[in-house]
Amino acid sequence: MNDKQKEQVKTVLYNILSLIVVAVLWTLFSAWQQSPFFPPPADIWKAFVGLATQGDIEGISLARHIWASLIRIFAGFAAACALGIPLGLAMGLWPRMYNRTRAVLEPIRFIPPIAWIPMAIVLLVGFSRYAFLIWLGAFFPIFITTLLSVTRVNPVHVNVAKVFGASRSYIIRKIVIPSVLPDIATGMRVGLGIAWMCIVAAEMIGGEMIGVGRLILKYAELIRMGEIIVGMLVIGIIGFLMNEIFIVVEKRVFRWRSEVSID
Amino acid sequence: MDSPLLDVSMSKSFGKIDVLRDIRFRVRPNEFLVVVGPTGCGKTTLGNILSGIDKPTSGHVRIMGEDVNPHIHNISYVLQEPSCIPWYTMMQDVTMGLEIRGVGRAEAVSRGSEVIKLVGLEGYENYYPWQISGGMKQRVAIARAYATSPDLLIMDEPFGHLDAQTRYLMQIEIMRIWEQDRKTVVFITNNIEEAVYLASRILVLTKLPATIKKEYVVDIPRPRDLTDERFLEVRAEITQQCEIVE
Repeated sequence: MNDKQKEQVKTVLYNILSLIVVAVLWTLFSAWQQSPFFPPPADIWKAFVGLATQGDIEGISLARHIWASLIRIFAGFAAACALGIPLGLAMGLWPRMYNRTRAVLEPIRFIPPIAWIPMAIVLLVGFSRYAFLIWLGAFFPIFITTLLSVTRVNPVHVNVAKVFGASRSYIIRKIVIPSVLPDIATGMRVGLGIAWMCIVAAEMIGGEMIGVGRLILKYAELIRMGEIIVGMLVIGIIGFLMNEIFIVVEKRVFRWRSEVSID
Repeated sequence: MDSPLLDVSMSKSFGKIDVLRDIRFRVRPNEFLVVVGPTGCGKTTLGNILSGIDKPTSGHVRIMGEDVNPHIHNISYVLQEPSCIPWYTMMQDVTMGLEIRGVGRAEAVSRGSEVIKLVGLEGYENYYPWQISGGMKQRVAIARAYATSPDLLIMDEPFGHLDAQTRYLMQIEIMRIWEQDRKTVVFITNNIEEAVYLASRILVLTKLPATIKKEYVVDIPRPRDLTDERFLEVRAEITQQCEIVE
């Protein structure tokens, strides 16, 4: 085993240790509090098993909740990518497009998705409400990172191509796009995180009784912390796993980079 | 005198700042012209204008009688900054100019191998820039410039970022390559010793706004010895010129 592998094993062990420390602290805290608001990890585990095997108060299993949320997130996230990446590229390449619409785009960016809820309820129905709110959350980080990245393309690389008489299309395909791809991936990763953050808000208004966010709300009304915490952890863990998968893919795709940020 | 390959007569200003003032010179085919000037005197601007990236404010830059245009002329430019394309392997990088000019892949690779060998980097064809040293990267940039067999090769302080040792070796290497094919070169530097070592002719620039202060024809036989009496004489003379400039 070389030093690098040793370091990796250490990293994994320390992460497990951190988890154990948090679980122990949580156990001690809940034992000290003796409050239904701080159920011990054992109770949370029981709530998890209950949700996974018997389902919630309406008999909807945890897996179905997760699946419903995942589909909504992917729909909203895919729409955000499909719009944010081309628009960011176009506006980065033709900054006038952005400069002349800035007064429209920028204020929208600062309206939090939650503030859109009433509009979404009035204007949209069913699945589109979820997709819209998640799209709102994911779109701007993807759009803005792509846009900024295009303006930061190293002019030296562009000049190298220009001196050989490269066409604009060559410069876009071979210089600009490869240069911005890693940033687009980062934007997508941030966007995906925000998409998960929007899911609870989206499922508050969705009407349907399914989804991890809805699950949390259901048990919030009953003040049953065990199930609420299960819902929270599910969102956290799935988001974490997706991010990890994203990082692995990034490292593969961007082999030419000596390092990939892991924020 | 042969008809000039490059005919320059121009000025350049950015807004109110005059950078290059009335720069006039001609370069004959097969000449190794070195332009020396102090830091910040607009040397890079000169390189950018000669290569057609930037335009002069007034006057002209003509190659074989026509205004410089990368779409028509076969120019190569080695930039001062590290210029390897991070997502290109060495072979892709070196053959970039050939790819842009529409040369077939097989032919481009065979020419690429030639120039990679020329700069002594064979065996590294599939390496990415982050895997090789600064000196190697600069050699990749030089190989890339040679790959298209340019009519005019412009180099802007190509060794500026290298350590003294590598720099010296690169100077020897560039001379060896030049003696083989006698490409027309315009080489920009702030290093007088480098200038005297390489040049068939030297133009000394003043500080901003840069004008041509003096011209020297260097007729010391090659390969030149840095400690040779005649070499030191020329070097001292130019150094003196530069001091007056300051």
